[in-house]
Amino acid sequence: MSWSEVHALVGENGAGKTTLCNILAGIYRADAGRVIVDGAERDFRSPAHAIDAGIGMVHQHFRLVEPMTVAENIHLGWPETPGVVSQRALNERAERFMGEMGLHVDPTARIWQLSVGEQQRVEILRVLARGARVLILDEPTAVLTAQEAEELFAVVRELAAGGLSVIFITHKLREVLAVSDRLTVLRHGVREITRPTEGATAGEIARLMTGEERVLHVEHRTVTGDPALEVRGVSALNDRGITALHDLDLTVRSGEIVGIAGVSGNGQTELAEVISALRGLESGSITVDGAEVASLSVRAVTDLGVGHIPEDRIGMGMVASAPVKDNAVLHSYWTPQFSRGLALNRQSVIDFAKRLVAEARVQTRSVFATAGQLSGGNQQRLVARREALVADRLLVAAHPTRGLDVNAAQEVRSTILDKRDSGCAVLLISDDLDEVLLMSDRIAVIYEGRIMGVFDAADADRERIGLLMGGHSITGAVA
Amino acid sequence: MFRGRGSMTPLGSIAGAVLAATPWRLERRLEVDAKRAALTRIGGAVGAMVVVGILLLLTGRNAFWIFWQALDAIFGRQRGIEGVALRAIPILMTALGVALSLRMKVWNIGSDGQFLMGALAAVGVGIHMGGPGWLVLIVMAVAATLAGAAWMLVPALARAYWDVNEIITTLLLNFVALQLVTWSALGFWRDKEAAVIQSTREVAHTLPGLPGAESVTIALLFPLVIAAALWWVFRSTTIGYEIDTIGGNARAAGFAGVAVRRRILVVMLFTGAIAGLGGMLQLSAPGAQAMNAGFSAQFGLSGFIVAALAGASFWGVIGGGVFIASMFYAGIVLQTKGLSVYIIFAIYGAILTGIALGEIAARYRMVRRRADAGAEAPGPPGASEPSEAWGPSAPAAAAEVLEAGS
Amino acid sequence: MILAIIENAFLSLIGSAIPASAVVMLAATGAMLGERVGVLNLGQEGLIGIGAVYSVIAVLSWGVESPWLAMLIGMIAAAAAGLIFAVCVVAFRASQVLVGLALALGGIGLSNQLGTNRNGTPIQTLFREVNPGGVLDDNDLVSAFLFHDPVVYLAYIGLPVVLWFVLFRTRHGMNMRAVGENPAAADAVGVSVTGWRIFYSVLGAALTGAGGAYMVLSFTPTWSPDIARGRGWVALAVVIFAGWRPGWAVAGALLYGSMISLDTTAQARGWGLPFMGASDLSFFLSMLPYVVTLVAILIPAGAVKLGRRVRSTAAPAALAIPYSREER
Repeated sequence: MSWSEVHALVGENGAGKTTLCNILAGIYRADAGRVIVDGAERDFRSPAHAIDAGIGMVHQHFRLVEPMTVAENIHLGWPETPGVVSQRALNERAERFMGEMGLHVDPTARIWQLSVGEQQRVEILRVLARGARVLILDEPTAVLTAQEAEELFAVVRELAAGGLSVIFITHKLREVLAVSDRLTVLRHGVREITRPTEGATAGEIARLMTGEERVLHVEHRTVTGDPALEVRGVSALNDRGITALHDLDLTVRSGEIVGIAGVSGNGQTELAEVISALRGLESGSITVDGAEVASLSVRAVTDLGVGHIPEDRIGMGMVASAPVKDNAVLHSYWTPQFSRGLALNRQSVIDFAKRLVAEARVQTRSVFATAGQLSGGNQQRLVARREALVADRLLVAAHPTRGLDVNAAQEVRSTILDKRDSGCAVLLISDDLDEVLLMSDRIAVIYEGRIMGVFDAADADRERIGLLMGGHSITGAVA
Repeated sequence: MFRGRGSMTPLGSIAGAVLAATPWRLERRLEVDAKRAALTRIGGAVGAMVVVGILLLLTGRNAFWIFWQALDAIFGRQRGIEGVALRAIPILMTALGVALSLRMKVWNIGSDGQFLMGALAAVGVGIHMGGPGWLVLIVMAVAATLAGAAWMLVPALARAYWDVNEIITTLLLNFVALQLVTWSALGFWRDKEAAVIQSTREVAHTLPGLPGAESVTIALLFPLVIAAALWWVFRSTTIGYEIDTIGGNARAAGFAGVAVRRRILVVMLFTGAIAGLGGMLQLSAPGAQAMNAGFSAQFGLSGFIVAALAGASFWGVIGGGVFIASMFYAGIVLQTKGLSVYIIFAIYGAILTGIALGEIAARYRMVRRRADAGAEAPGPPGASEPSEAWGPSAPAAAAEVLEAGS
Repeated sequence: MILAIIENAFLSLIGSAIPASAVVMLAATGAMLGERVGVLNLGQEGLIGIGAVYSVIAVLSWGVESPWLAMLIGMIAAAAAGLIFAVCVVAFRASQVLVGLALALGGIGLSNQLGTNRNGTPIQTLFREVNPGGVLDDNDLVSAFLFHDPVVYLAYIGLPVVLWFVLFRTRHGMNMRAVGENPAAADAVGVSVTGWRIFYSVLGAALTGAGGAYMVLSFTPTWSPDIARGRGWVALAVVIFAGWRPGWAVAGALLYGSMISLDTTAQARGWGLPFMGASDLSFFLSMLPYVVTLVAILIPAGAVKLGRRVRSTAAPAALAIPYSREER
């Protein structure tokens, strides 16, 4: 790739985009092949080597030290940081530098106090501070609002105009066309094509990415039945003790999918958790089929027929070190199907697990293999199907397709649609607006713990939803 | 004084480069089966003993020959076997407690203290209570069990509700228990008639002996029964399932509706109770019916090593317990051959290191970095995917990846 | 009058507490150094023994005549043991808990084996107390409070100040903290996580070894079996109490030390209570240092739980978690 260009690296999840860039950034070492910078072959044994060669990467999951300040994070591991420094000196240096770059964040703030967009800015500042000439951005817009993304595009184009090369990893075609000069499509770790962006069409790129076209057709419908889930005036705190949900109202009826559109970190996680009784309420009420959730235990809520595909599948939804069979009953082992009194019926657990694995098409050697041995996609399929079986009345699905390749994502979506068609209520939480628009019968936009507006699928307007996601109130929103 | 990069720190750069400079690297296995892990742990333990043996050889002691003699002394005659069995009882009891806590990823390093407190409670009951022997023994056992659990109460509450790490808290209580036992032996329960050996008064009752044995009592059955019970609990009850889930991923346990904190509290109290009962069993053996400062010959530490070796498998604890008890007994024999009692600690340290390294050996393997050198099985996600071809070099090519020799 | 008595009692308690817990101070600083970069070394108890026994060997067998040199030898021996530990847990990613306990056991075993023939032999090569020209009477309480070996000043003032300065006022310290909090972040900006973790565990082990050396070269001053007597574990507790801040370790160490000197003072003067004889009181007081240390650990956690958020008392986030660049 050449200087002063924005090069988009596109491909489905698992196509090898991130791996390639990790090799460039010195995180992984290549098993074979060469990296050539300025005509010289380089072998990056560590990120330090890559930085010396002028390659800087902004990871999808930020590499920032949470309890430290913005200024400290920018100066971390930077040889040009003075050997002896005070906080004030660091802040002044950081401010001066931000001025030069035209990117601003409060240097005295601690990382955990910042929004995701601000954290990303710190990452970019840190890479630029080291004089990076090649900037790698891994899925940079996944955590941004539409407006923040636009701002990022502007920054990226400005940087490229200043002589920098930018590698922009994404799977969103709109962004490729909006920001890049040239693009490369990867599929299963192999380059499909490299070409100028000008003249490329979204359809063409999509075909190259997936190899085939598979379009899910979803018929949206309007349901007027009884509400399965009613959330009334709910407020709740997040793990840091800060109010994450403000007086929130929401209704989900049997047989419909309500999608929550919003940028990550606006209360979605907390919303899913209060509904499953995993998190306590400060005020308000949540009822499932008329039963007050706040007065019930986690188990009792599950027994009402509430399934929950948690956002953090590996961290919360399964036990990686335990066998698949134990994970298959994680949310139902106490039910009469599997246990009587304290006795757990091993055979019925094994039989159930085998059936689940077969139905969800989980690829595993056996149900006795540990869940940690499954690939990410298989883990996700396992959890999604398990929760779908638990959910008789309500399925809370948080980012159910995140990190999945197209086919796996379509399978999970079909599972969710089947649930809806069988009369179950579905609350779909996703930061992928396309997914929300595709799947939902009604769409609720969340911003800073408040529902900004609710739309029927028919009158959902991408532009208006995008504005609401960014916190811009607009008149005429249907509440 | 300091340079900016870690690689600039002189020693750091050498150490960091040790692995990085070689074409080898550790790679995580996708599958770790329990059998392989058990084998590598045992391999590590045995390897460590060989290393210690060689070190002793270098200092002019033929440890292997001495050890062989010790083994011969143990298994050549009934007295030796009974000697091992006698030591196995306290070691097994403390080991079972630790193994139970390890199922939940809790490190109970305080089993020595719980063991001592159990014994102390048993002595208190034994020397003050009248009545038929069997009744006294039962009350002693109950008191010991409660005392062991009580000694765990503060660490357990702190761990369960305040998230205070249990390693240091349980360990500090060992020292308190030791002082309390010393106090009892030299102070409030001192046997004033025995002038030479300072200990508490003696309990009049002992547990009935095993048929055919000279010194081993039915106490030996307790660890076997408890191991069987625990094995069953973890195999076929929801309680065992919940404890394993907490150990595997406490957040997932919360997600599944397990009352995680309460479970941690109760299980930790149980581990203390088992160790406490062990103290009573030790005390009720003929000839051991009084307490002195040396009552626990670091049985808790031995038990900890057994549990680590067994990897929290309860039947493994029995096997490992017999192994360590033999070591322990052999150590006593070794003392007569010019080695101090402390050498057993050094050996324990080596064994534990061997176990820890063995555990890693099961999870990793050495892999050459370059695919062309040894194209082996898949590595961590992505790492072994061949580097992708990317970009025809534009005229002003600055950075590019070339396709591998294909 | 009463004030004077209290003042005297306080001065004499702290005065004898200072040397009594200098070992704890050194070991706590050593442990804190490792923990700040994410390595938990539970082997402090063994390292004290190794540092002590090699200093004894240096003096008694190798004829070393300078206490500083003897201490250096003890430190090198402890550092060597620390290096084995660090390679196991950092390079090979073995369990820090298991290998740490192994180091504690192995260190106790090794040092006692080596010390067997040297039990009770008095050490003559001692650190000399700093007392500027006998300005004050030796028995004066103030002098007991102020005048000690040079090692004591290093332990209580020099080390904490240097460590605080490095951690919070230098680029290097910033990077150290990052390694302990988020090694992936440190690695991404080119800080060698493996190298630093090994380096600081070894340096920390050397400091703990210096604590052991101080015991035999000044405090006891002779080798006796099981020389650490739990001070290594107390040091680990002091780190928790201090919330990983160097200055607070002084308070923790002195708290422990004053319990020790309360015990020794009570024994020496034959104190008793109306309901407890002198010997019983002494048994009771000998449990107190450990009980008080245990309570001290609970304080920071309790403060957080009872609603007073003390963020800076949290352990380094990556403590005891092995780091691998290619796994996340």
